[in-house]
Amino acid sequence: MNFIKKIIPMKDFTLKSLMTFEKTPLNILMFILTIGLLGAFGWGVIEYLIHSHHAYNVTREHPWGLLIAMYIFFVVSSTGLCIVGSLGDVFGFKDYMAMSKRAILGSIVTILAGFAVIAFEIGHPVRMLIYNVLSPGLTSAIWWMGTLYGIYLTFMIIEFIFLMRNDMKNARIFGLTGLLVGLAAHSNLGGVFGFLNARTISNGVFYPTYFILTAFITGIYLTYLMYGFRYKMNFPEEIKKGLIGLAKIQTLLLAILMFFETWKMMTGIYGGMPGRADVVEHILHSGGFVYGEVLCGMLIPFVVMLTTKWKSINLYVYASFIGMIGIFFMRYDLVHDTQVKPLQMMKLTEYQLPPKWIEYFPSAAEFAIGFGAIGIFFMLYYFGQKMFDLDGGDH
Amino acid sequence: MARYGMALDYKNCINCKACEVACKEENGVELGAEKHRIWVGGNNPEGAWPLLDMASASFLPSQCQQCDDAPCQEVCPTHATYYDENGVVRVDADKCILCSYCMNACPYDARYVDERTMTVDKCTFCSDTRLARGETTTACQNTCPTKVRTFGDLDDPESEISELLRTRDHFSLKAHLGTKPKLFYLT
Repeated sequence: MNFIKKIIPMKDFTLKSLMTFEKTPLNILMFILTIGLLGAFGWGVIEYLIHSHHAYNVTREHPWGLLIAMYIFFVVSSTGLCIVGSLGDVFGFKDYMAMSKRAILGSIVTILAGFAVIAFEIGHPVRMLIYNVLSPGLTSAIWWMGTLYGIYLTFMIIEFIFLMRNDMKNARIFGLTGLLVGLAAHSNLGGVFGFLNARTISNGVFYPTYFILTAFITGIYLTYLMYGFRYKMNFPEEIKKGLIGLAKIQTLLLAILMFFETWKMMTGIYGGMPGRADVVEHILHSGGFVYGEVLCGMLIPFVVMLTTKWKSINLYVYASFIGMIGIFFMRYDLVHDTQVKPLQMMKLTEYQLPPKWIEYFPSAAEFAIGFGAIGIFFMLYYFGQKMFDLDGGDH
Repeated sequence: MARYGMALDYKNCINCKACEVACKEENGVELGAEKHRIWVGGNNPEGAWPLLDMASASFLPSQCQQCDDAPCQEVCPTHATYYDENGVVRVDADKCILCSYCMNACPYDARYVDERTMTVDKCTFCSDTRLARGETTTACQNTCPTKVRTFGDLDDPESEISELLRTRDHFSLKAHLGTKPKLFYLT
């Protein structure tokens, strides 16, 4: 342990101190929630190991489901927290200096949760590690995304070590490199969808840029939630200043996102192009988009922040929670809407109607693994808080 | 070295589905409606019973289009999908990680998961079976009672398929996507 402490400064802790916490109602709720989610994750994994992909409701026509959506949810969160963390230690904005350590830890644990999900979605994760190196598909956005995320995680860990050592010069170097690699990885994730010529609703430049924008938004929502929980709504002055600044940035980002979304839908529907316009109409009539993405993800937080003129930090914590629900729907809808239009429009068996829309609803195992990974995030973040001094950093 | 393709005189198709059965039998394709390498698409006849216009019902046999510029090959992160020496798009099951990106990228819905190997499978023009035994036809072509399919080497000007493509008008599915399919529908 002393050897590790020489590399990365840690608090003094014992196994007992790691397992004990102040018994406030919120802490107990979070404890029960975390245990429940971890239990669900474990059950989902057992279901997967017994039944393989039969445990999931993915089909030939809808091969990507909730687990892909949750993977995206986590890696978007990671990139977002990396951007927020970089504001202070990379770009030197003094108001955000104190947030770097916590945000970078958050970015590390969210991507680990994402990797935990994708490990049970990919059919052969070990084979992936081998042939990613031995037989790289350089024209594949998935190859670039996966490889760059691996490098990104390495840089994030190195940056975190330097942050904990208060070596701001090296933290800045690795932070900037990690941020650039992370942005490249994340836009490649958008490219995974953007390169799909067969799926006109997703094909094009929108997703690679949209992913970066929504990552920043997600990062700010999560920063609010992490600090709301950390300080139980009694924020110290140096954190308040940063959070107010983030709320202002968030309002601007949400305005840009709404502008982007409006034009995506308008250009999608204009001209009535089959396979695109009908899908846009379908999306506009879906509850997930209207109530999830628009109302929770964009409008409510935007209106709350705009009308309170960036003064009600406590309110923004609740708005950020609602915002994160919206972010989940953004990820889920992105995956589902890409595949909702059948590629094969003729009927293949007798006594059926030609397909109109592809139906998909996640199985219990998909819910368990996908949402259970939130428990992994909670657990890793909790241990991170216990082991490292994440407060301060205004150097 | 050949460049295999297939011409389909699809208007002759009577939807007997013998091709689907022959494909499953020859290539050991799993049972189940979702597990198919080839298929026959159909539309319902127009009109209301008993006044159905049976002539309006049409059938479109299809399968992997063996694209010259295959999206499934481009998106594969481990080169599990590759072109063999005859230009046939194949899957190396040992390299497939089942990320399903190819299934999403294929514009023709021509791929499915083989649950015995948990890898993606697709039409191979019977490369592992009939062609490997030295035969010159695919199972679907061989069994078709109305001779819808003609399989052969597109680079051989004397082949039956080359002759058909020279003398008959034809089209390809979703050609606007730039995939350059090697399946040709004769009109």
